[in-house]
Amino acid sequence: MSSDPLASRRRLLSWFVRGALTTAGAAVAALAGLIAVPAASVRARRWTRAARFSDLEPNVPTPVIVTTARRDGWHRARRPQVIFLTVTRDDQVRALSATCTHLGCRVSWNAPADRFECPCHRGVYDRDGRVVSGPPPAPLPPVAARVDFARDEVHVEI
Amino acid sequence: MARDVFIRIGNWLENRAGWRAARRHLLDEPLPAGTGWWFTLGSVLLAALALQAVTGVLLSLTYAPTPDHAHESVRYIDQSIRAGAFLRGLHYYGATIIVIAAALHVVRVVVFGAYRKPRELTWLTGLALLLVILAFALTGYLLPWDQRAYWATVVTINIAALTPVVGELVAGIMRGGPEIGALTLTRWYAAHVIVLPAILVLLVALHLYLMRRHGISGPWGRKGDGSELFPRSHRIIQTRPPFFPFYPYQAARDVTAALIVIAILIALASRGAPPLEPVADPAEAGYMPRPEWYFLGLFQLLKYFPGRLEVVGAIVIPGLVLLLLALLPWIDRGPSRDPAERRLPLAIFGVIALSLGALTAAGWRDRPPPADSEWTIREVGGAAMASDVACTRCHADGGVADPVGPGTITRDAAWIEGHLFDPEMIAPGLREPPESNEREIEALLAFLARARRGDRPPPLAHADVTAMRVFARFCIGCHRIEKGGRDGGDEGPDLSNIGQKHDPAALRRWIADPEAVNADAEMPAFGTRLSEDEMTTLVEWLGGQRAAPNDGRE
Repeated sequence: MSSDPLASRRRLLSWFVRGALTTAGAAVAALAGLIAVPAASVRARRWTRAARFSDLEPNVPTPVIVTTARRDGWHRARRPQVIFLTVTRDDQVRALSATCTHLGCRVSWNAPADRFECPCHRGVYDRDGRVVSGPPPAPLPPVAARVDFARDEVHVEI
Repeated sequence: MARDVFIRIGNWLENRAGWRAARRHLLDEPLPAGTGWWFTLGSVLLAALALQAVTGVLLSLTYAPTPDHAHESVRYIDQSIRAGAFLRGLHYYGATIIVIAAALHVVRVVVFGAYRKPRELTWLTGLALLLVILAFALTGYLLPWDQRAYWATVVTINIAALTPVVGELVAGIMRGGPEIGALTLTRWYAAHVIVLPAILVLLVALHLYLMRRHGISGPWGRKGDGSELFPRSHRIIQTRPPFFPFYPYQAARDVTAALIVIAILIALASRGAPPLEPVADPAEAGYMPRPEWYFLGLFQLLKYFPGRLEVVGAIVIPGLVLLLLALLPWIDRGPSRDPAERRLPLAIFGVIALSLGALTAAGWRDRPPPADSEWTIREVGGAAMASDVACTRCHADGGVADPVGPGTITRDAAWIEGHLFDPEMIAPGLREPPESNEREIEALLAFLARARRGDRPPPLAHADVTAMRVFARFCIGCHRIEKGGRDGGDEGPDLSNIGQKHDPAALRRWIADPEAVNADAEMPAFGTRLSEDEMTTLVEWLGGQRAAPNDGRE
């Protein structure tokens, strides 16, 4: 309201300084966000050879390591993943991821107890990957699998 | 003369920087009578944090934050740098000491009611510092890039992902990419050595400024919070009773406490940090990740919340506990700081502290039984083969590759397998790949898997090792021996008690040429494939394979 030219000048400069600092702060925050939040990247799934069919035993989950090449930023990584393969009655192969759905630890097959067990927080799954007990919120994720009988090969899509 | 010069330099500086007043302000801090040993914990923390900064800088001179080199560079620090193991020990146990000192500091502040009005902000900055310290511990844990580091980080990031609404965003920022890898390591390294230290310095400065602004709370004997005795002006220094100056009285206590803690730290670090585990391997089956002891309480809590409720154990309960702690100054508003008159706030804190203690103890006890530690015949045989010239021609001290043994294996299982089946893959044209058969490679792989876990071969007699090596190369495809574990083939008979049925001479005739003993024998002849020495040690050793109690084991 004041018509004092000095006061309005001061108010203007003060707005300018605050505005400039706020803008600079927002710009820095935006840059940090731009760099720190990784861009979503969806990797196309690919069929990969996982095992010889004749190496698998019927009805026993067998762990196989399937290695895929990944770009990990500037680093070209070969990423091994563990997949459990089970030959079903009709000579098909069922594949289950070995990554616990609780917090991502590696489950292993306990043959005498006939179940998958996670070492971290006592998650237990049955042979079909269904949760039996413990903290896992979901069954072990199935992985698409197919058998090439001509070549005696099992392929999984990861 | 020299004294004159010093005084003149001092005066010159005083005129320009006013340092004498600053020093007086720092050292003559008035403390309420009765301030004693309990009030040294903040200074101990400050000393430990400073030491951590120094050891951290020294470690960063050598450490390389990439998946290819992190593990090797830490191993290099441990094994090849002068006092490197001690340095890493100081940094490792320094973290533990800081967590303990911070916890005791919190307990002291709560018991003395030091968080009460007007010190709410000092309390909140202190809690923020506690979180920063835990963030330091978490980010530092990943850097060695061993199994422990990798799997603890998998769990940490997945816990962060459980946060409602922003979970995936936070997890993405922590990971830096679609999976834990090179981008995660550089991020956590940057957080550990740049971002967190900057936040820590700011918060410590704020915490100390607030501490000086309101003064030390002191013992609870006085009525009120003591602030009324304190002029708000910074300039006025009161050191007459009931106050005494910080320097040198309380300073001497602080230094004594810090020296004791540093002596404990040196003793702990003298044997180095706990040994590195094998290099991070996402495919390792059945690896048992365990967090550092100060996260065991949270680790244990997670086991109690199944399925969709996991967010309760991972986020809700820890968040509520933190909120409750932050609100203590507003819960505790009675007239007195005397613990006897502050039952409710102390009860709340006591329940939190006891629960955390109980969970930590439960997590500590709830550890799996150690895996079968007995070495199999194949593993012992593989260890013997690894010391052969075929391997040591390159893998030797001063050779083109590092010696092979416990603690030196940095590659994952798939790489090692490739290297053994095709050594050319690694160094094409450098040399003739050594000759080896499939069984030898299996034995070497079994040994290397063991060595990756850091296990050392058992001390066995030389003859036993030689025999086990021959067995692992020629016999194990068809035969098994009970004490060799579940390893071995079933085409031939189980040889667990063979020594009770045949003497060494008979065994020698059979192994040399089975058809000469029994025309129907299906076993191939080994007379020409084994050297005289190998045959002798093998049959002597087989002759010693008897049922317990005399099972021939030395």
